[in-house]
Amino acid sequence: MVIQPAPIKEMTSRQRVLAALRREPVDRTPVCNPTSVATVELMDLVDAPFPHANRDPAAMARLAATSYTELGFDSVMPVFSIVQESSALGCSMQWEQKDNWPTVRMNEPIWKDLDDIRIPNDFLTHPDMVCVLDAIRLLRKELGDDVAIIGKTMGPWTLGYHCFGVEPFLLMSLDDPGRTMACLERMKEATVQFGLAQIDAGVDALTVPDHATGDLVSGEYYKRFLMDMHSEFVETIPVPLILHICGRTVDRMDYIARTGMAAFHFDSKNEPAESMEIVSDRISLIGNINNPETLFSKNPEDVRKEVIANLEAGVPLIGPECAIPLQTRIENLMEIPKTVRQWHNEHVHVH
Amino acid sequence: MAELSDIGNEFIRQEIEEYLERPEEIERNIELFARVRPAMQAIAAALIEGEDGEVDRLTKLALADGIEALEIMDDGLIAGMGIVGIKFREAMIFVPEVLACARAMKAGMKYIEPILSDSGVEPIAKVLMGTVKGDLHDIGKNLCIMMLRGSGFEVVDLGVDTSEDEFIDAIEEHKATILGMSALLTTTMPNMGKTIEALIDADVRDDVFVMVGGAPVTQEFADDMGADGYGKDALSCVSLAKKLAAQTA
Repeated sequence: MVIQPAPIKEMTSRQRVLAALRREPVDRTPVCNPTSVATVELMDLVDAPFPHANRDPAAMARLAATSYTELGFDSVMPVFSIVQESSALGCSMQWEQKDNWPTVRMNEPIWKDLDDIRIPNDFLTHPDMVCVLDAIRLLRKELGDDVAIIGKTMGPWTLGYHCFGVEPFLLMSLDDPGRTMACLERMKEATVQFGLAQIDAGVDALTVPDHATGDLVSGEYYKRFLMDMHSEFVETIPVPLILHICGRTVDRMDYIARTGMAAFHFDSKNEPAESMEIVSDRISLIGNINNPETLFSKNPEDVRKEVIANLEAGVPLIGPECAIPLQTRIENLMEIPKTVRQWHNEHVHVH
Repeated sequence: MAELSDIGNEFIRQEIEEYLERPEEIERNIELFARVRPAMQAIAAALIEGEDGEVDRLTKLALADGIEALEIMDDGLIAGMGIVGIKFREAMIFVPEVLACARAMKAGMKYIEPILSDSGVEPIAKVLMGTVKGDLHDIGKNLCIMMLRGSGFEVVDLGVDTSEDEFIDAIEEHKATILGMSALLTTTMPNMGKTIEALIDADVRDDVFVMVGGAPVTQEFADDMGADGYGKDALSCVSLAKKLAAQTA
């Protein structure tokens, strides 16, 4: 922890986010959500409702921009859900309506075994993938270099759930860990391909959701199946990577911190102070304002308390714990950057 | 009062010693396993280890030896799942292991169910389980179903994305005691309340107890919606179901 003797010159949002991801000094703690801050209210504001905003680049970019233009966050992230890759791989999709998330029909798996795994030649030119790439280009054009654009590419564990089905995939991991590892090795190609394409399109960082959550699997599972692969992503995907895993993850945070990834987006089921102690200065934490109970259900003053708890724990990037509930009120979301600014005005800069 | 040393199966003794911490659970399981015959302890041990092939073999052997199907289910399969549920609740095992144990349970139950059905033995109660409209996530629901079946309930799985009408039709068709609804998303959670209202409008609300669960669901939300109970995890779901079923006994 370095106490800055003099205030740091005011940064742009983009500079602030990238500095925090590199664990360098910042003028104030950045606010971001590496998953999604899309809400029904914001959709109405810019006429970009789901499912259209998940499938049309202009609508996607318009909705993503509201994170910066309306909410005052330091980043924008156009990939609101976690389905684009699975759509391009051939999964059966349910695109839903304005007030619900698109989902993969995981009970209609497309793969049963290692030999079934195929990354199609036209993977990156699938319309749902092109939508994301075009939206990123639009955002860069519209917002310039002032705000951080964070992309998203699904990790192989999550792709396993989508393409094999959750239960078959988890049973395979127990029955045949070697075959599971081989499957992950094949599926990771999708992660890398889409990540690199988004870098070409102009992202500053990438979120890698890979749902080896403590609600489903042990911390040792993360170490066994994913830790080395995530380290490999750091070598092969040349932007700061933000790992996202929902749920209880304290038991695997030490392993996550060893990967070399820039940041870990963590869930409210994990105490900020405890999490910070485990990861120390090896990885930046992002989070971890509770979604269903606080942002969705409560009021700005409750949001404020959680933001302050995270700031006081030293969490270097503040934001919701995951993709926010679509019916979340804007006033609750705006409270996050408002509280961060006020807190910084009242405290010495300690980073 | 039975003691740990009264349990002949070494694996079961170790499971109780190593994984059970609550005094009432330790006492209950020692009493149970000290009472049941060695063949049942062996079935329970194989189930806890997720050895579906072994459970299959031992169940057939027990039936061939003249042991009653109900005893095999209660003292072997359900007894084993009881330990599995505790270990899962305490995060000593995780979903892959539970899935393997559920597979082992199923391996035994495929011989037991037809016998019990033919002899008119009733389950504890019948439960309908479904994920609400718009929600395709079912791992939580499926874990609850495994635990419910593993505890002696009959469960009708309505699947995912279940509409209000589908829930109502299922209540009318199956004459279940309990309706369980799950949701993983805050966007679909409100459909639990809408379903309960639909049950009232269809005049079937009083025909079932309604229990709810899922990651974003809370006790407060369940109460506001008019549910009869909330289960925060699979084991709580079973406890709640037993409590609700007892109200109709």
